[in-house]
Amino acid sequence: MGLPRYAAARAFQTLVSFFILISIAFFLFRAMPGDPTAFLLESPRIHPQTRELLKQRLGLDRPLYEQFFVYIVNVFTGELGYSLYYGRPVTEIMFGRRMANTLVLVGSSTAAAIAVGLLLALASARRYGSKLDSSLTAFSLVTYSIPTFWLGMIFIMLLSVNLRLFPVGGTITATRVHEGLLDLVLDYAWHMTLPFAVLTLIQIGYNFLIVRNSMLSLIQEDFVYVARAKGLSEDAVIRRHVFRAALPPFATIVGLQLAGVLTGAVMTETVFSWEGLGRLMYEAVSTRDYPLLQGFFILVLAAFLVTNYVIDLLYAYLDPRVRLK
Amino acid sequence: MSSWGTMRLFLRNSYGRLGTLLLAGLVVVAVVGPLLSPYGIWQYGVCKPFEQPSLTHPFGCDEIGRDLLTLFLSGARMSLFIGFVAAFLSTLLGALVGLVGGYFGGPLDVVLMRVVDALLAIPTLVLMIIFAAVLGSGISNVIFVISVLSWPPVARVVRSQTLSVKEYPHVEAARACGASSLRILFKHIAPATTHLVVANMILQISNAIIAEAALSFLGLGDPRIPSWGGILRFAFRIGAMSAGYWWYVVPPGLGIVLAVLSVTFISYALDEIVNPRLRKY
Repeated sequence: MGLPRYAAARAFQTLVSFFILISIAFFLFRAMPGDPTAFLLESPRIHPQTRELLKQRLGLDRPLYEQFFVYIVNVFTGELGYSLYYGRPVTEIMFGRRMANTLVLVGSSTAAAIAVGLLLALASARRYGSKLDSSLTAFSLVTYSIPTFWLGMIFIMLLSVNLRLFPVGGTITATRVHEGLLDLVLDYAWHMTLPFAVLTLIQIGYNFLIVRNSMLSLIQEDFVYVARAKGLSEDAVIRRHVFRAALPPFATIVGLQLAGVLTGAVMTETVFSWEGLGRLMYEAVSTRDYPLLQGFFILVLAAFLVTNYVIDLLYAYLDPRVRLK
Repeated sequence: MSSWGTMRLFLRNSYGRLGTLLLAGLVVVAVVGPLLSPYGIWQYGVCKPFEQPSLTHPFGCDEIGRDLLTLFLSGARMSLFIGFVAAFLSTLLGALVGLVGGYFGGPLDVVLMRVVDALLAIPTLVLMIIFAAVLGSGISNVIFVISVLSWPPVARVVRSQTLSVKEYPHVEAARACGASSLRILFKHIAPATTHLVVANMILQISNAIIAEAALSFLGLGDPRIPSWGGILRFAFRIGAMSAGYWWYVVPPGLGIVLAVLSVTFISYALDEIVNPRLRKY
């Protein structure tokens, strides 16, 4: 299969996935017992005429398949409705400052965790079974087991409250008038330190274990045998052959792992009052703001499917074996 | 490898031993602990608000003077119970989907695998939060949400095993003897996937415990009987970190870490045994 055909086939698959998932969202938000609009409409305190009017206005008097069709069209045209709590369009609330804050936090911590994870895996695979290797493995298993929000709470307690090194939460000091851009950026970075540290720490262990284990499997491959046979030093074998071969599969995992990072972002932003999409989601859950939740869900879906699609294409470009399957 | 051989290797692995001991200890605490506590979880005023840990109240007290050790013990029961039950249900569901899809193949398999792919591509916990917010809180809803969204990895693994097992001679022999599809599936194929199902269930337990903690922390757990995550929610909302009430924050979190860690150790040890490439050479 050529690359263009592979790209088209994967695009079709991605669209099917998107369709399945937004259909699940439709039935979840409309056909489930907790639907607030349904609850409001069933209430005996509402006048029957008002009820009819509301149903017409919301399109709830139409048959379900018609509602479904309208919903699909709306999703694809970016009409995600109004937030119950803010009274503004869902898209307007999500895009802009909130999204920028989340992208900065998630992007920087993911990049840092990838860099550190790879370096540690490299150091560890060179000396498999050493003290360093086993303590790094233990460390990874432990960080993997710590709930993100609890790590955040402990950081706040120790570093913000006891040692007063960092702010307790927020994105900037609200009470301060910033003198120039540099002052603002520094204040922002100071607020971001702890959430950044938490999000990075919880990802390092995962990256480390994945790369280390895949390197250990590769060490027994024939090409490593050849590399050793031609007299390369063990260091060069690991660095130039094993490590390099472990990178492409890792790239696909990073795409899938973004899912975990986003979940981590919801918990971290909640604990640190970081004004991002994750915190917005927590607020939407607390106020039962269903349109906002649904919009958030659709945004997350689109972001993930697109990311995974791009990574798959990149992978297929780098490794022709993938598209031949 | 015989199951006794696996067992011996497992117990010789230090991660395996440590994980098993830890998990056994926690289960004992969760089962016996609440029975020994002299207070109820909603019995307030048994001590001063935010009283520090002492001999009478080893874990201190919360904002309305409840004994935090009592809450911790009942939280252990809740967290582990939900973790085990949700993991069991999701593994069961995943195994069924994998067996049926892999054995029967055809359009049914295609549809099931499309759903699996779609669910695997997105953040499960975010989906759980949304499901839980729509369904409302309560122990059965939490279990339902966790199990109904975590089965896809199990289905994927069991399906690929089913695909190869169904070509084995003993399956063909059974078919030649006229055994029904269901009999072949559950009598001759399912047992060959047991080791995968067990290994996956263990992973599912740690995922379920973490998911439950996160849901409860966001206020989507059962409000009547707080789990460890639920206690941390109380602590967070009352501002325990800023006030320096460490005894409110540390024990429930450590409980979660130890529970997840014990399961992670067990699964790591199993992985080292089942996957010989990871064994020390």
